[in-house]
Amino acid sequence: MILPDSLIPWNLSMEAYDRVIGARSLLRWTLNTVIYSVVSVVGVLFFSSLAGYAFAKKRFPGKEVMFWSFIAMLMVPYHITVVPVFILISNAGGVNSYWGLILPTLANAQAVFLMRQFIKSLPDELFEAATVDGCSEWRMYVSIVVPLIKPILATLGVFVFLWHWNDFLWPLIIGQSNDMRTLTTGLASMNAENVPLNVVLAGSVVAFVPIFMAYLIGQRYFKEGVTMSGIKG
Amino acid sequence: MSVDTLPKARQRYRWREARIALLFVLPCLLLFIAFRFGPAVAGGVLSFTDYTIGADTNWIGLENLRRLNEDPLFWRALRTTLTIALLAVPLSILMSLGMALLVRRAFRGSKLFRSIFFLPVITSLVLAGIVFTWIFSEGGPWTSVMGWLGFADRAWLSDTTLVIPAIVIVAVWGRFGFGMLILLARLQDVPRELEEAALADGAGAWQRFRYIILPELKPALFFLAVIETTFSFQIFDTVYVMTGGGPANSSYVLVYQLYDQAFRYFDFGYASAIGLALFVMTFIVAMIQRLTLGRER
Repeated sequence: MILPDSLIPWNLSMEAYDRVIGARSLLRWTLNTVIYSVVSVVGVLFFSSLAGYAFAKKRFPGKEVMFWSFIAMLMVPYHITVVPVFILISNAGGVNSYWGLILPTLANAQAVFLMRQFIKSLPDELFEAATVDGCSEWRMYVSIVVPLIKPILATLGVFVFLWHWNDFLWPLIIGQSNDMRTLTTGLASMNAENVPLNVVLAGSVVAFVPIFMAYLIGQRYFKEGVTMSGIKG
Repeated sequence: MSVDTLPKARQRYRWREARIALLFVLPCLLLFIAFRFGPAVAGGVLSFTDYTIGADTNWIGLENLRRLNEDPLFWRALRTTLTIALLAVPLSILMSLGMALLVRRAFRGSKLFRSIFFLPVITSLVLAGIVFTWIFSEGGPWTSVMGWLGFADRAWLSDTTLVIPAIVIVAVWGRFGFGMLILLARLQDVPRELEEAALADGAGAWQRFRYIILPELKPALFFLAVIETTFSFQIFDTVYVMTGGGPANSSYVLVYQLYDQAFRYFDFGYASAIGLALFVMTFIVAMIQRLTLGRER
């Protein structure tokens, strides 16, 4: 018995995938999304753990004022700062550049707060012993602080990654050329340009799969990260 | 040892420690000054100017606010945003509550359900928007089902009234998993013996919920109400992808207007005024939370 062609949709759907991947854009957008997400995660974790450590375990002038003004920034909606930040970046020539995309997102109040809380809960003795041993501050950070904060690094890392992977408004504003789009803004542009729906849906699958795989492996971190921060990724 | 019990001399900063600590804080501080503090102030200041690209900037005082007041599109966007919040917040909380109660006891597959319900939270709203555009399209699944149920089978996204519930559905779909997890965490604190005792005394499901579970969940429900309201004020991605504010501006929300004014018309001053309005709205919600929580204590 010969099955009619229409029962086997492979031709059609494979063609859709092919056109997407063949469009080259999708690869470029994926690369951009990976750069945006990975560099931001590394940057946010590094800077916020340094600051969080200082806020939690060091005494220095202006500490309280600085810390609480960081936290106050959680109250200011993203949308009130997005216009001035855009003006700043665009005057500095950062439109359609990776640094323009990434740099402003490194100022993450939530990350500093969560880092500080976590490090504060660690016993002082762990740090004091090292000081007595004459450990330099930098070595102390690398060989004592970092290993101790691994759990929060993982949770926060997953959350920041997710947030950047799914981010839309900022890449939409900064990545204006086709080559500087991320997956979200790229797919939205395809959607707006009336690219056939099956092609757009195929692209969506490509964008969704990495996050889905990561979710399957590290569900715990996703749930912790999102609930801890209270923010949609 | 707390700071107060230390001898006076040691309370002074050890400068080596302070210097290194400041060095550790410095990168974050610079980033915050450039991209958070500065812009937050600038956003306020800009709303009193006519800043745009390639023209002189003038201080125009309250002109932008006067314009907002007289802009029918702003009032419409405000009304649409509030309508969406009014529908999406209770719905998503109810859905979170229902699902949390459903999966809280371990049963075959309860873990799987939790994972599936949480999946929309980590899904990009742009992707969700694309898929839902198809679901709501003419001949799409939603439209067909509505047709079979005897409703008019028109595409919701091209209907000036039905577009709002469509956007609310996507918003609730994307958010309820978050509330569910928050509530599940609280449900674990409900004393089991209490529930079992109530059951033994013949309390029905509703009574157990009303008198044992609900009081335990109250703070969490309140937290959710605030956070979900803030979220629905900021809806943008789905509107951008699904409707572009249409049809006939019927899904034109505040953040969309802000985006339009700033990045389509380059009217940065006016866009900042809309940002200010959003800030005031968020602030009012936070204040209501403060006051109500204060009274509860």
